Amino acid sequence: MAQTRPISANAPARSANAQNVSFVASLRENWLYWLILIVLVLFPFIIGWLSGDSPFGTPRGDRMVMRGESVYAQSVLINIFALSVLVMSYNLMFGFTGVISFGHALFFGLGGYLMGIILEFGGMDPNIGLIVALVVVLVVTGILGFIVGIVSLRLRGIYFAIFTLAIAEMGWLFFRGLSITNGEDGLNVASLPEWLDPARNRIMVYYVGLALFVLTFVLIRRLVNSPVGSVFQAIRENEERAQVLGYNTLHYKLFSITVAGMLAGLAGMLLAIMNKEARPEILNVSVTVDALLMTIIGGVGTFTGPVIGASGLHLLDTFLREAVVTIGPITIDIGERWTLILGFIFVLVVLIFPYGMVGTWQRLRMRFKRSK
Amino acid sequence: MGTNFFGGKRDAWLLVIGMFVAVLVFALFTSDFNLSSFAITLVSGLFQGMLLFLVASGLSLVFGLMDILNFAQGAYFMVGAYLAYDLQHATGVFNITEAVPDPNIRFIIGVLVALFVGAVLGWVLERWLLRPLYDRPLFQLVLTFGVSIIMLEGIRNIWNTTPYSWTDLFAIREAEFTLFGQAFSMYRLFVIGIGILLIIGIALLLRRTRLGIIVRAGVEDPEMVSALGINVRVVFTLVFTLGCAVAAFGGAIAAPFLGATISLGSTFLIQAIAVIVLGGLGSYEGTAVGSIIVGLALAAMQQFSIGVNIPVLATITPMLLLVIVLLVRPQGLFGEAR
Amino acid sequence: MSDNILEVRDIHTFIGQFHILEGVSVSVPSGAITVLLGRNGAGKTTTLRSIMGLNQVTQGDISYMNGSLVGKNAHKIAQLGIGYVPEHRAIFKELSVRENLQIAARKKGDLENNLDFVFELFPDLKRLIELPGGNLSGGQQQMLAIARALVPDNGLLLIDEPSEGLAPIIIQQLIAAIRTLAANKTVLLVEQNFRVASLLADYFVIIDDGHSVASGSMADLHKEHELVQRYLGVA
Repeated sequence: MAQTRPISANAPARSANAQNVSFVASLRENWLYWLILIVLVLFPFIIGWLSGDSPFGTPRGDRMVMRGESVYAQSVLINIFALSVLVMSYNLMFGFTGVISFGHALFFGLGGYLMGIILEFGGMDPNIGLIVALVVVLVVTGILGFIVGIVSLRLRGIYFAIFTLAIAEMGWLFFRGLSITNGEDGLNVASLPEWLDPARNRIMVYYVGLALFVLTFVLIRRLVNSPVGSVFQAIRENEERAQVLGYNTLHYKLFSITVAGMLAGLAGMLLAIMNKEARPEILNVSVTVDALLMTIIGGVGTFTGPVIGASGLHLLDTFLREAVVTIGPITIDIGERWTLILGFIFVLVVLIFPYGMVGTWQRLRMRFKRSK
Repeated sequence: MGTNFFGGKRDAWLLVIGMFVAVLVFALFTSDFNLSSFAITLVSGLFQGMLLFLVASGLSLVFGLMDILNFAQGAYFMVGAYLAYDLQHATGVFNITEAVPDPNIRFIIGVLVALFVGAVLGWVLERWLLRPLYDRPLFQLVLTFGVSIIMLEGIRNIWNTTPYSWTDLFAIREAEFTLFGQAFSMYRLFVIGIGILLIIGIALLLRRTRLGIIVRAGVEDPEMVSALGINVRVVFTLVFTLGCAVAAFGGAIAAPFLGATISLGSTFLIQAIAVIVLGGLGSYEGTAVGSIIVGLALAAMQQFSIGVNIPVLATITPMLLLVIVLLVRPQGLFGEAR
Repeated sequence: MSDNILEVRDIHTFIGQFHILEGVSVSVPSGAITVLLGRNGAGKTTTLRSIMGLNQVTQGDISYMNGSLVGKNAHKIAQLGIGYVPEHRAIFKELSVRENLQIAARKKGDLENNLDFVFELFPDLKRLIELPGGNLSGGQQQMLAIARALVPDNGLLLIDEPSEGLAPIIIQQLIAAIRTLAANKTVLLVEQNFRVASLLADYFVIIDDGHSVASGSMADLHKEHELVQRYLGVA
């Protein structure tokens, strides 16, 4: 594991005084998080103010057309929110509990597909349909996570990882061949409620995405810092020892996998809302690989690492895809070479940041503090 | 515990025989007990199984010995396919059709070049990129993934993204053989033969040579091997290089059938991963047997899915087989139970 | 004692972030059996692994026949003539007994020259020669692990807990065998079983909490009741 830290066996005693921490102290400790939250809340308006484009889009006739810098920036951030929630959920399981799964795409993809199918074929009022979809996604991904977790009782390490890969691949191939969702072309999700339609009301999708992102971050942080979280980490460090300490590690692993699966399902829903479609690619193993790589590059078992990994790579992806750089007489079309550059980024990050970006930063800071 | 013919792995072999019988019966059933269409399934299954083995063997040995799941293994297969295609055809980047007019010799050159390039690229990856990371296995995973992207993009830049299909005819493609009254291209027999030779060759290497003993010992406990005075890192490099060379070689000999396409690598990689886990990680015989079973099951399912018109059945076969085997035997066919 | 074949001077070793050895010194006189004593987790195994180059030494020096071992790779250290018999035996279970011995040969003739001696010491191995190592009993595996270290011409053997988990009668055989082989080899032993240690060793070093705290001849240790009581917990 990339990070080793001594675990506390008597963790339950630790969080007892967490309640007593005053609001001010928490504000002082987490000021950066609060600042980022405020910036994110104001973000559509800041971009709108800077660019002169309205955050609500451009009016045309009696409706809004989603055009302008602010609206575009919102879409980039919505994608980052969805991706970050996915990667954070992966990190909960992989980084904090030490369970390596190669099948996370299944939960993500099911979130998108289940919502799409319910909205398109449910014949319900879109608002009710959305609520039904939310419940169904949570229930199905939860049950599925539970079942996959039960199997992990029998399979260890890489066997479990490949088992989940196989299950997810079958899901991908199934939806790719399913005719009612248009096979490889994917399912268009047109019946979104109007208030949450990214083609009309992008800013609402933005705030829903932000809410999901913040809730996930807080939830995972709370969970990991709770007694349950200490058991997660004990399992990651040494499962046998955690068992010897008297914990039923299976229960904890089940819990971690189930929560991670449900969060991934929500992330998939958000992405499907933003794109207004569910395509088989969201079930592909490359989604899982992305989540894994972003976790590792950002920092395994850190809170901010997955967010930095996800947003960093997505921003690079978005802006470098179209970039053309001219240095003197040489013009390099970065967009054309983008994937190649991505490959080099992976290799370089691995060689330069031995514990991921956040992990390496934390270690450097610790060493600096110690030497002072 | 006494020994017996199965060397203490009786359950595994019984399961293997059971699976073989089941797959063959299923194949007979899908061909309506018509021997000539059964022959098609059989030949196609062995053919696909051998191609799988060519990717999976290196993956399996490398994983067993060094605990690295080499995500770039599929890319080596692809490089081999592109090189062989390119050297064979006049439309390639390196056109050697004038220098070497004989298509048979061009094919041999293509295969040898693929083998060589695969070995060199494999050596570079292990020696210069993976070696500094031996105490950080997760990062090795990211690194092999990064390298596979770089190789894929390299191919994209040298050749282009449109799939090439093999058009050149040469001796073994034109010759034919007959099985149960059905005629097949000799090329199929050639690939199956190469696969069988390789299975036996690697087995002999592992059983009979000092290097083989070291590799098998290293799969169990590399640290103890080095404590016996053997430079285990050199063995790592050698095995990794060999694994990549064999994958590129596989791509080259598969190219007359599969052509050269960008998606070749990932398809074979995922199926090969399924094969080595199904066979039991670190077990060479598991990989060999697993490749053949998966190949035959794939061919039978392809036949079956055409009949019932559900094409997805064939593509999910390797995964389905893997899931079933793991549910019955969590350590895979020949893996060590823990 | 100028003829120490191995001299460990004040070594420090980390495993991960944990400082396991915080100053261990061991002198191993040529041709004798020296035993490392101490409680579980005191750092005895880590000392052997540090000598063997399997754990990195961050401070201090290890000299073997007047050459330093610090910073050398394990295989280089083994090639200098040090045989290692780790705890839990670590024989290769999938390899036959013969292959387990073959792999230890470092040059041509190693196996042929020493096989007779190995079979003389452990006659059982002769009839088990074609069996996979995993099929052997615990005692047989321990014999194989020691035999493996005898195949090349090693001058020094590091043996970690040979008696662990074995029946008393097997331990008797092992004690006899180790005594015989020690006739022309130097042995550094880790042994939890104080009785076994006293039957075998000429010299002792006590390690406690990562420090070497006492050393001397085994005969003297029997008089030092207080020392034995304090560090080893045996009366």
